[in-house]
Amino acid sequence: MSARVVITGTGAVCAAGLDPDAILAAVQAGTSCMRPIEQWDTTRWPTHLAGEIPDFNARTMVEDRKLHKLIRRTDLVGLYAAGRALDQSGLVAHRDALPGPAAAEYSDRSGVIVGSGGGNFQNQYDYFPLMSEAKGDLPTFGRELSNTVNPMWLLRTLPNNVLGHIGIKYGLKGTNACITNHSVGGLLAVIEAMEALRDGEADRVVAVGHETPIEPQMVLYYHDVGLLAAETLRPFDAGRDGSQFGEGAGALVLETAGSAAERGAPVHGEVLGGGYATEAEGLLAIRADGDGPARAIAQALADAGIAPRDVGMIVAHANGTPASDASEAAAILRVFGRDMPPVTGFKWSFGHLIAAAGILEMAVALAALKARTVPGIATLRTLDPACAGLAVSAQAQVPRSDIALVLCRGFAGTNAAVVVRAA
Amino acid sequence: MTARPRRRVAVTGVGLVTPVGNDVATTWRALLAGASGGAPITLFDASGFATTIAAEVKHFRNTLVSDRRLLKLTNRSHRFALEAAEQAFVDAGIRPTAEDATRWGCAVGTGMMTADFADLEKTHAHAAAAGTIDTDLLLTDDPANDPLVFCRGQAAEGLALLTRRHGIQGYATSVHTACASGGQAFGTAMKAIRRGYVDRVLAGGFDSMISPIGIGGFCLLSALSTDNDTPARASRPFDATRNGFLLGEGAGFVVLEEWEAARARGARIYAELAGDGNSLSSYRITDSPPDGDGPIQAMRQALADAGATAEDIDYVNAHGTSTLMNDRSETAALHAVFGPRGRTVPVSSTKSTMGHLIAAAGAVEGVVCALAITRGEMPVNANLAERDVDCDLDLVTAPRRGRIRVTLSNSFGFGGSNSCIVMRHPEDVDGKPGRSAAEAAA
Repeated sequence: MSARVVITGTGAVCAAGLDPDAILAAVQAGTSCMRPIEQWDTTRWPTHLAGEIPDFNARTMVEDRKLHKLIRRTDLVGLYAAGRALDQSGLVAHRDALPGPAAAEYSDRSGVIVGSGGGNFQNQYDYFPLMSEAKGDLPTFGRELSNTVNPMWLLRTLPNNVLGHIGIKYGLKGTNACITNHSVGGLLAVIEAMEALRDGEADRVVAVGHETPIEPQMVLYYHDVGLLAAETLRPFDAGRDGSQFGEGAGALVLETAGSAAERGAPVHGEVLGGGYATEAEGLLAIRADGDGPARAIAQALADAGIAPRDVGMIVAHANGTPASDASEAAAILRVFGRDMPPVTGFKWSFGHLIAAAGILEMAVALAALKARTVPGIATLRTLDPACAGLAVSAQAQVPRSDIALVLCRGFAGTNAAVVVRAA
Repeated sequence: MTARPRRRVAVTGVGLVTPVGNDVATTWRALLAGASGGAPITLFDASGFATTIAAEVKHFRNTLVSDRRLLKLTNRSHRFALEAAEQAFVDAGIRPTAEDATRWGCAVGTGMMTADFADLEKTHAHAAAAGTIDTDLLLTDDPANDPLVFCRGQAAEGLALLTRRHGIQGYATSVHTACASGGQAFGTAMKAIRRGYVDRVLAGGFDSMISPIGIGGFCLLSALSTDNDTPARASRPFDATRNGFLLGEGAGFVVLEEWEAARARGARIYAELAGDGNSLSSYRITDSPPDGDGPIQAMRQALADAGATAEDIDYVNAHGTSTLMNDRSETAALHAVFGPRGRTVPVSSTKSTMGHLIAAAGAVEGVVCALAITRGEMPVNANLAERDVDCDLDLVTAPRRGRIRVTLSNSFGFGGSNSCIVMRHPEDVDGKPGRSAAEAAA
């Protein structure tokens, strides 16, 4: 038998709150956090709503001001969520109380696996003042480079900053990865962490997903390719017309049951299994029949050693785009049929966090299991007939067990599924 | 706790697009000869930059991939990736089919750049002529409304292109830990097979940062050699006069297969991908710890994971960037892991010839190790005129021949990720030669 993988710390930040319980409370209350974008003037823009973190304050996210020059907004939220999860787990304090060699060994057996959004467009605008100065003359551009551009520019751009800075701040030195796999990155980080613990590569891993996609050029592209809603994200609704961006991060501290027991750590839940499948249709295309998510779900259930009837609730990807929701519903219906547990989704409340979506929603799902509730989808008016049979509701439902299935889908036809049980 | 039964992983196909050759054979000849790919930059006018040289991929065009609709969706690094991946499939003699597509995976180390400089220039001219972005003008900007620019700029685009072209429907992922990305992709792929997610994986890395922004970014960090008059000698890992790395570009890919499945179909096996080590230095974002802490753990883990000891290693492909700090730190780590053998185990950094391929480096150097085992040849550490006294290693300055049992390849990235990959000669796995009987008879 492989080691059991337990959750000893959770952290999350998005427009709906600064921790999983606060986010759950906002979702339960039916709160939509979509507000006019404040980062730039969207008066003339076709899209003007998104789930920005209100009153965003870099120092609330990361206290160390020196670090702010070296990292981006996306890194700030990632470091915040990871810090909260690590603090809650108590593992760093435990390690620091160990004698030197044992502490070093503990650090070497503590890993970090991150799902990150990769590069953004806005960061490259830092070169615009230089380009204006050079007036199209590259030799001038080269000569004036160091007088105009922040010398740390490349470091600020690194997609793996959260990984590196968590390592440095908390002294974690074990197995690590940075996954730049669009939306599935965060939830795939959970699967990779689970497998690393089962394989004995590490005794504990902090898994993180972070992204702040609300930047002008990104919003414009998503709008142009038809992925954004005009006003409201209505998952599985007959009138749905797209998704909406949010921003934030989620983090989970995962440990072998032995590692958690060794220091009497609080156990919030257990990761029972994961599944992952790709559809290979290209960057944006997805299959209508739900083949990818259906395979990911089936794998996750088999990996967890449970049957569909054991699942107490499903937190669907539910991003609100016509194609994704319809195919996701088809996949859920195919696997669960009449054994359908209550189904919900969270993006309607705080938006699509891209690389952070799956892992943050998993942290909120865990909070919902503990609260014995399946929050309703407040923006749902009329279920799309194509999704008939899907057990979604605008009202809260009751989970039929202490197990949740969390789904996540991303560009390149990727699909991840994780099965989690509340402690 | 008992570990799950371990599945072995075979390397059965290789592909390379590098600054010293657009295929495996040409690259290998250059690596044995130490014929550097360093030259003045031709991709843009770099005359004003502190560094005006790089190791560009030369005379490249996609010869194996002619799907023009697909190529429209690519940036330069994707074109390298498509070509090297195709080489690896041709070489392996196996491809995903409709029947086994879900049992195939893909793991790639992807570069960090978002937009092509030409597109950034257009956006600048239209929406930021005064130096700061006017977001309303962005609404009518061509690149900012071109879905092709969007697709080419997505981190998952390389993965999307490869899985679509080859019909790969199992575990597929894209990773980025800066200069450790390629090694991390190999380790991720190996684990996907071991864990039973898939039976075969296309794994590799690709990158191209030789642009005003890429070169500029590294110039700002003073990371690049400024030996602009002697580009072929600019990359000289472990030399006392080394002064920074030479930026390269390219792609390296392998086809990996579960060992028994590869043997069952009579595949030619280059090597076993036997071990992966993975650590975080947690020291500084750009610096390596002088005592080798971090890389030491990665190497020890990779050896243990492969069921090998330092004594078994016949060749080390060093990270060897040709920066003052890396090469000393790596030397300290090698001495810590190899003990007295640290002075006699053969080591070369092929970055001396190819330059530093960043996210592709670990993958290309993994291919180099597989080739070294198959061919019984060690590529050289070129440009070593005066070895740094603090880099007390047996550096391979002329090609050496001989049976290579086990290789070790290091890749260390900005951010502190250290990746180490161990490969083993097929005869040392199951006593059988790597070549199929038919091939051996031919």
